[in-house]
Amino acid sequence: MATLGLASSLPLLLLVIAGAGGARWRGEGTTPHLQSIILGRCAEHVALLNPEQGEKNCTAIWEAFKVVLDKDPCSVFPSDYDLFINLSRHSIPTDKSLFWENNHLLVTSYAENARRFVPLCSVLYGRMGDFLSWCRQENASGLDYQSCPTSEDCENNPVDSFWKRASMQYSRDSSGVIYVMLNGSEPTGAYPVKGFFADFEIPYFQKDKITRIEIWVMHEIGRPKVESCGEGSVKILEERLKEMGFQYSCINDHLPVKLLKCVDHSTHPDCALKSSSPGTQELRKGTTCS
Amino acid sequence: MANHRFSSVSEEEKPCCGISRKAQICLCVLFVLLIVVGIAVSVGILMWRQPPKHKEWKGPGTTAHFYEILLGRCYTYTQIVRPELRHTDCQKIGKAFTSAFLSKDPCGSTEQDYRPLMELTTQTVPCDKTLFWSKSSELAHDYTWVQRDMYTLEDTLLGYMADGLKWCGDAGSSEMNYQSCPHWREDCSNNSVSVFWNTVSKRFAEDACGVVHVVLNGSISNTFDEKSTFGRVEVFNLHPEKVHTLKAWVMNNIESVPSDSCSSSSVNNLKQILKTRNITFVCQNNYRPVRLIQCVKNPEHSSCRYNL
Repeated sequence: MATLGLASSLPLLLLVIAGAGGARWRGEGTTPHLQSIILGRCAEHVALLNPEQGEKNCTAIWEAFKVVLDKDPCSVFPSDYDLFINLSRHSIPTDKSLFWENNHLLVTSYAENARRFVPLCSVLYGRMGDFLSWCRQENASGLDYQSCPTSEDCENNPVDSFWKRASMQYSRDSSGVIYVMLNGSEPTGAYPVKGFFADFEIPYFQKDKITRIEIWVMHEIGRPKVESCGEGSVKILEERLKEMGFQYSCINDHLPVKLLKCVDHSTHPDCALKSSSPGTQELRKGTTCS
Repeated sequence: MANHRFSSVSEEEKPCCGISRKAQICLCVLFVLLIVVGIAVSVGILMWRQPPKHKEWKGPGTTAHFYEILLGRCYTYTQIVRPELRHTDCQKIGKAFTSAFLSKDPCGSTEQDYRPLMELTTQTVPCDKTLFWSKSSELAHDYTWVQRDMYTLEDTLLGYMADGLKWCGDAGSSEMNYQSCPHWREDCSNNSVSVFWNTVSKRFAEDACGVVHVVLNGSISNTFDEKSTFGRVEVFNLHPEKVHTLKAWVMNNIESVPSDSCSSSSVNNLKQILKTRNITFVCQNNYRPVRLIQCVKNPEHSSCRYNL
């Protein structure tokens, strides 16, 4: 009987062992040296990049952030970041907001460290959290460096709540022409109908401060075009904006961004540039003119 | 005396209504000026009397929050950018960095000062992936941001940590000088910051292997500048037994008339230097992937138009 019991409970036992020794949650654990990274990023943002925001107190901002590190990792709400946001928010230059879904790295490259555009990860509060992960341990104080909950584990986790709150603020502080970069090669659709942009950014657009919205649907070089302007989920987005009364336009493969994508696909036919004049570059001969 | 000034002013003025009011205003202004001058002189004397805490130099001072930025960058680099380095001891590195210049004469910096720091931070760049740059910082870095397997010095740990920062100490103090730091030309060339960059550039070149690349600016007259860090330090510290070829990508401004900058005399100078060092030199005008980076800023330019 004992052996039978053991055999049947073996998978369960393995799960328990895995749980005890391994990850509790599905997401990445707390980033090591979180405090130094956050303080350093804040200092850098203020000292180097935006000296006009010199009155920002990075120590106070960190103190406001760290209250969530004492909370149950499944009971952290966007409002828990209110003080943090209030201390770190700053104005965003008009016509420079860039929203996006499914192209984080491309957006950061294109935004050129806030010289060209100011996406959420270039705003102080966004910069501080970018690529980081954090959560308290489930049943103890102290940070969990093994894993942190994702939305599949529980909705009110520290990281998702952070980005919800940050997205709401970013949206509220955006003005002028609003740009949105979507990934038209994403198999699940370019515009996630449930996502940060849909649920925590669009609803917080300030109608009286926004002139119009421009959507760029980018496609991966050499990969299928799953959706383009006016199709599928992009069409859903366009209708939603229309219903909200926004003036909008949509461009497939906005040229400057496409050029950037072509940098590491320069020999692909989709990236072939016309040669400007004969004899300038011996390498270009015979490769561009069809 | 004030009356004299007063009367000479009123003599020069043309007669019109409200002279006395104007004169009163002039008197008030003169009074205020006298007070201001008086205060300025007293403050000046007071300041001159006090021994200055730090020496005064002609360049900008240590970057505000230098140490926090340095540490934060070290952690960002080792935890996120290159997580294979996640076991790096950033505290130790931070301390080694500051002890290279604190309590020392900022005009007497030497490579030895940075030796402990260098020993803590060895990082191998894979062969064929080293990218030098000269007078083309923005372009080179925009390129490696997208082409993540190539490394400029600023894509290695130490370069990443120090990029854009300024620092200096003082022999008479254990603190950083936030007011001013030596200017390379107007104060001294062996200053803490310049010596740092010379030291790390030298090692960056020494560690390179295979085919190395350099982004040069074809739109200036000294495309290859012998006085630049690339020309003074990096070219001469390549090891010919490890580096067999240097490929130069000479980029022209998009708006300029296309020209064959590879055949310019300054680039030829570079070619000669490398020849004597037994390193093959290859030159490409307006290397396409880097040209595409330039096109991002000028998408409508004729050389950026697509073939459809």
